[in-house]
Amino acid sequence: MNPFKGMLDKINVESVELELMRTAYGSTTTLLSKLDPRILMVWYLIFAFAPWFFFDSAKLLSIFAFVTVITAISKANKLVLFLLCLGIIGQMACYAIVAYFLGGNMAALAALLTLTLKLATISLASIAVFSNIDPERFSDALLSFGAPAQLAFSISYGYRVIPVMVEEYKDIMLSFRLRGHAPSKKGFLSWRYAYYLLKIAVLAFYPLILNTAKRIRTTIEALETKGFSYAMNNNDVKRLKLSYLKIKAADIIFLLVSILILIAIILI
Amino acid sequence: MSESIIRIEGLSFVYPANERPSLDNIDLEINKGDFVSIIGGNGSGKTTLCKCINGIIPHFIAGDFYGEVKVCGVDTLDMPVSTLAQRVSYIYQDFESQLVRPTVLDDVTFGPLNFGMKDYHQKGMEALRMLDIEGLKDRFIWELSGGQKHLTALAGALSVKPDIIIIDEPAAQLDPYNAVAIYRRLKILNESFGITVITIEHNTELIAEYCNSVILMDAGRAVWIKPVRDALNAVNDLVKRNIYPPQVSQAAWRISPNMPSYPLTVGEAEKYFAAARIQCPVESNDCGLGDDAHMPHPAIEFKDVSLWFRSLTETTKNVLKDISLSINEGENVAIVGNNGAGKSTLLKMITGVIKPKGGHITVYGTETAEIMPEELSSTVAYIYQNPEEMFIEDSIRKDISYFLKTRHKAHEYEVLDYFINDIIKSFGLEDLQHKDGRMLSGGQQRRASLAIGVAMQPKILLLDEPTGSLDIESRREMVNSLELLKDRVKTVIIATHDMSLAAEWADRVIVMKDGRIIADGDTRSIFDDITLLDQCHLKPPQIVELSKRLNMRPIALSIDEFTSRISSIDEVMI
Amino acid sequence: MERVLRPERKNSSKDLMLFILVLALSGIENLIAEVLPEFQLGPIEVGISSFIFVPIVLCILFDSFWAALAAPIGELVFADLILGEFGGLGEFEEVILLTMGLYIAGKMVKDVTNRKQIAAAALFAFIFQDLIGTFIDMTKVWVGIEDFEAISGLPESVFALEMIDFLVEFAVTGIIFGLIPTLYFAPRLYGKIEPLLGIKPRLIEKGAALNVPIRLIGGAIIAVIAAAAVSMLSGAGFNIIEWEPEFLDQFGQWYIWVPITIAAIVAIVVIWLGKSNNGEGQDINV
Repeated sequence: MNPFKGMLDKINVESVELELMRTAYGSTTTLLSKLDPRILMVWYLIFAFAPWFFFDSAKLLSIFAFVTVITAISKANKLVLFLLCLGIIGQMACYAIVAYFLGGNMAALAALLTLTLKLATISLASIAVFSNIDPERFSDALLSFGAPAQLAFSISYGYRVIPVMVEEYKDIMLSFRLRGHAPSKKGFLSWRYAYYLLKIAVLAFYPLILNTAKRIRTTIEALETKGFSYAMNNNDVKRLKLSYLKIKAADIIFLLVSILILIAIILI
Repeated sequence: MSESIIRIEGLSFVYPANERPSLDNIDLEINKGDFVSIIGGNGSGKTTLCKCINGIIPHFIAGDFYGEVKVCGVDTLDMPVSTLAQRVSYIYQDFESQLVRPTVLDDVTFGPLNFGMKDYHQKGMEALRMLDIEGLKDRFIWELSGGQKHLTALAGALSVKPDIIIIDEPAAQLDPYNAVAIYRRLKILNESFGITVITIEHNTELIAEYCNSVILMDAGRAVWIKPVRDALNAVNDLVKRNIYPPQVSQAAWRISPNMPSYPLTVGEAEKYFAAARIQCPVESNDCGLGDDAHMPHPAIEFKDVSLWFRSLTETTKNVLKDISLSINEGENVAIVGNNGAGKSTLLKMITGVIKPKGGHITVYGTETAEIMPEELSSTVAYIYQNPEEMFIEDSIRKDISYFLKTRHKAHEYEVLDYFINDIIKSFGLEDLQHKDGRMLSGGQQRRASLAIGVAMQPKILLLDEPTGSLDIESRREMVNSLELLKDRVKTVIIATHDMSLAAEWADRVIVMKDGRIIADGDTRSIFDDITLLDQCHLKPPQIVELSKRLNMRPIALSIDEFTSRISSIDEVMI
Repeated sequence: MERVLRPERKNSSKDLMLFILVLALSGIENLIAEVLPEFQLGPIEVGISSFIFVPIVLCILFDSFWAALAAPIGELVFADLILGEFGGLGEFEEVILLTMGLYIAGKMVKDVTNRKQIAAAALFAFIFQDLIGTFIDMTKVWVGIEDFEAISGLPESVFALEMIDFLVEFAVTGIIFGLIPTLYFAPRLYGKIEPLLGIKPRLIEKGAALNVPIRLIGGAIIAVIAAAAVSMLSGAGFNIIEWEPEFLDQFGQWYIWVPITIAAIVAIVVIWLGKSNNGEGQDINV
């Protein structure tokens, strides 16, 4: 297998990009995505902290199971989930193997298992929640928690410009390739070819940085004329913007049930 | 007497880094409800003037500011930008950078929301309704076409209910079909809603059709403000500044330079020239087929090529459908069609960066699917629509030599330099060669991008929308540069929606619509078929339409052709 | 008559401009690095974790706190959040570390045309961020496992693997995608990007030596030591003192968040101090 061969394809091939775009911009409604983003974030906080409180694997396993169920009904990206599991398991396996060679025993493995569970639970909780809040609602939730307006704006602005910038980067890469000269010999594992592509990938930032700088000036002026800095320090505007966020009965029920389940797990 | 909405007195402005003032003692009055166009060459201060009206200067861009600008009776210095912005909306030339929110409705309501208007949602919807684009409200900005983005920017401007809308060069950024769509809507906003509209515009045909008055700027001064007919008839004033009135006016002016007035539209010109005698062309080389003496040598061949993409919603989107095409060495081909017709994709497929999903493409016998774009690039050069994406080095000279230097060893560079110097000279880039491409004006950028392509010594040169987003002056510069290609490149293919470019430059025209080739033939016969062009929403150049209405046979494709075949009509008056 | 206007929020809009610029660029840089394939061997990743030179170069060119802050936020927003890989609270430490590293790097350079200074700054930005990140990772394992030290072989293995990971990262991200491109890009962009943004290029203090903002770095290191100390207390300390082990079993290890919070607060205070004094006076030059 040639590991570098796929690299170029990965940049160009539509399927990866489509997958990316679908994760970012596809709209599927799930139970969680209908809930208030602030409630979801509070839920996340609870489940991100909870695992650190326990060392009992049965309890950890129960919490893990519950979070898994919630993740299953969310629209989490399967690929992301897969990579996450692979990453955590791989990391722990490595520790265990090396520990074994350094004179460890099965105790190391058992100990690592609980840590793995903790990390997995926390990661799952974050994926379940944040893949169900679209960036727009996330930014509004942050705003309502008192985050600065620049931060909140930057999230939705990122959401706006990503596809455009990715497209431009690809065009610039092509510009290099359409005038460049790929190495005729690919070398061992195609290293020459990989080096050629990576060099272009780095150099392509030069035009990208300058072109972006040129455009951002217009953006800032436009923000000014659209009253952004006027609104930034104005609480009435903030209230108006966030007025659509309302905590409903379903939100409360979801949170309460989750907390009850957590308490039940702790007590049993 | 109408009441004035903008009053400018003694306005001068100097940018911090400059010595010369960009605006020089301007006195101007614009009436409420007017539809004004500002014309003038590059660097004449048009944009600077408009930025003074919406208060960006001097509130946001600092500099030396003299004089007074009053909008709706209030001095702009006494009003914060945010208040002023609710009276004067501004649509930038680079309108894409002005859209800051992810979806259309978000962007349109952004202004009213920031200004704390409780009914911001309603205001946004109203603006969308006024422009008849409610259907777009939930779309992501990045999904939209250029025309739709421009309309969204316009809706965003409208949503704060401004008294004045300023639009910087709408026609330069859009294809003709969308430019007309924007102007039609501006006309409605102006006439039915009483909004004062100010456009910076180079396209005098659009000015003639939609605007009421014209301001001429030159070197930071406002030369005059006149009603549109008087303005466009001041041909000497305009031509001196490289501004060109509508084609029909130019033709009439060239034939009889001392008339008190000239026609502005094809309809007027038809009457104006009604009594003129039409002469037969001196030489009849317009069969368009060229001489068949030597066998055509196919350079590019498409066989049943199709291309599709999967979209977000799991449906497939056809980009090209069953394209079969053969282009011979030595041809100058224009591919015309509106945005989204598939022109750019077709060009990119020739470079090998996009491979066909169905069918075969060969370039000089080589299948593009089986070769890397890098290898094909010694045969095919592609000039981007946006030249800034081609400036990958930090100077024009380095950009021009990039291709050659990647293919030659260091000790050969000296020889290469002769060749590169020659190219730089013939494209008139000597003084610019050490500058970064991004620092050049639009016209210079295009010239530089052409030089980059030519330096690759390709057999086939592909140009994507070479006159797009250029003002008229730079467009001329570009068309002149195209002449330089004739000795250097055998086959040139241009994808364009600029119909007069196609008419004047190409010897073969391919018409595309929705990913298909609708027609393919010699230039004259394609332009003769008005129904075909209509069907593809393509508007032929004024001069073509006029010669057709005057029953000129064969039709004239350029002003030169037209004037050479029509008798003097000094005796005829409108 | 020239009419002078009070400068109205000119600086805040420059800050916003730099913030958005760096945000967008380091976001896209991260996103692209994300799309490129990686080879993962447990905790050791061979692959491009980021084109880190992009934020480093920009922070050197602009020497702005907002630019430094925008880099990690851009990564969060573009690459993590939008791809559904947002790590929640864990991202917090990264924001602090990268912001501090980049901000100090920007402060270190006094002469943008001096390659040695640029090299030093680029290396500092990476090492500060990644080395401390590695320590925090190790601390997490320590805290997350009961009687971590008692399990033979485990501490050594965690330490060894994390250090190898750091070294690989250092070679790939720090040198190949950090130091080398920074040296290439910084002088090329200097004087070119600023006019596009309508701002003045940073002053070159010709001949000025590398600036080591001792107080800033000192403060940053104190923050990290504080973090380490507190986690030691929460992890090991309590076991020695035999303090309510029952309670600890269930509620002990949340202390991990105490050091991080403290580190965050210290970091913010330190940066604030550095901002107001601009590192003059007590800085030493080397």
